[in-house]
Amino acid sequence: MREGSVTVVNRLGLHARAAARLVRLSAGFTSRIILIEPVRNVTADSKSILSVLTLSASIGSLVLIKVEGEDEDRAFEAVEELFRNGFGEQ
Amino acid sequence: MKRVGGVIVSHGQVANELLAAAETVVGDMSHITAVSIGWHDDVEIAKDEIDRAIKKVSQGVGVLVLTDMFGGTPTNISAMFLRENEVEIVTGVNLPMVIKLASTSDEIGLSEMAKLVEEQGKQSIHRTGALLEPQKLKKDA
Repeated sequence: MREGSVTVVNRLGLHARAAARLVRLSAGFTSRIILIEPVRNVTADSKSILSVLTLSASIGSLVLIKVEGEDEDRAFEAVEELFRNGFGEQ
Repeated sequence: MKRVGGVIVSHGQVANELLAAAETVVGDMSHITAVSIGWHDDVEIAKDEIDRAIKKVSQGVGVLVLTDMFGGTPTNISAMFLRENEVEIVTGVNLPMVIKLASTSDEIGLSEMAKLVEEQGKQSIHRTGALLEPQKLKKDA
């Protein structure tokens, strides 16, 4: 199990297109990837876009990432990197 | 893998636009199509269009028709095609419902898919102010 936290840095937050990128990335790993928005205590499955959107994470929001499975190291690093680079947005 | 097909039917251009928006989010959605019924269209023409759309997306495991409003013409015409295990209708279509239908890749049957999409539609309606301010909500309660 890999755990860590990231901050949403892109201006639009975890909106539909960003969430779609995250879901596509997550789908490439066999590990279970869970995202948690701790303020409202909302948990989401990183492989389901409708689930990810319920996090409603805006710029500055903290998101906890929990990854468990065979490729958990690679999955964790990839998801963390996607958040860090603002989903390729500003 | 065979998937449940989808037809979005609405007044005006709502159906086409919902399809386009969902496609932007999910990507390829070749098993879902849209029929926009003009306000002045003839019922027979609209019926033919829906019939063609259902046949186009059918992969043999059922087609889910998502209509805009219960009691409206798009729903009433679509209801002519209702057949157990072949065509089912869920009304009140919204974007999360289309995304749910498009992104559910598990091999599930038509009635189960209809239930999932109906539930998703209901769950996706939030009074956002209350949702984003849980502290305030508690104080008011």
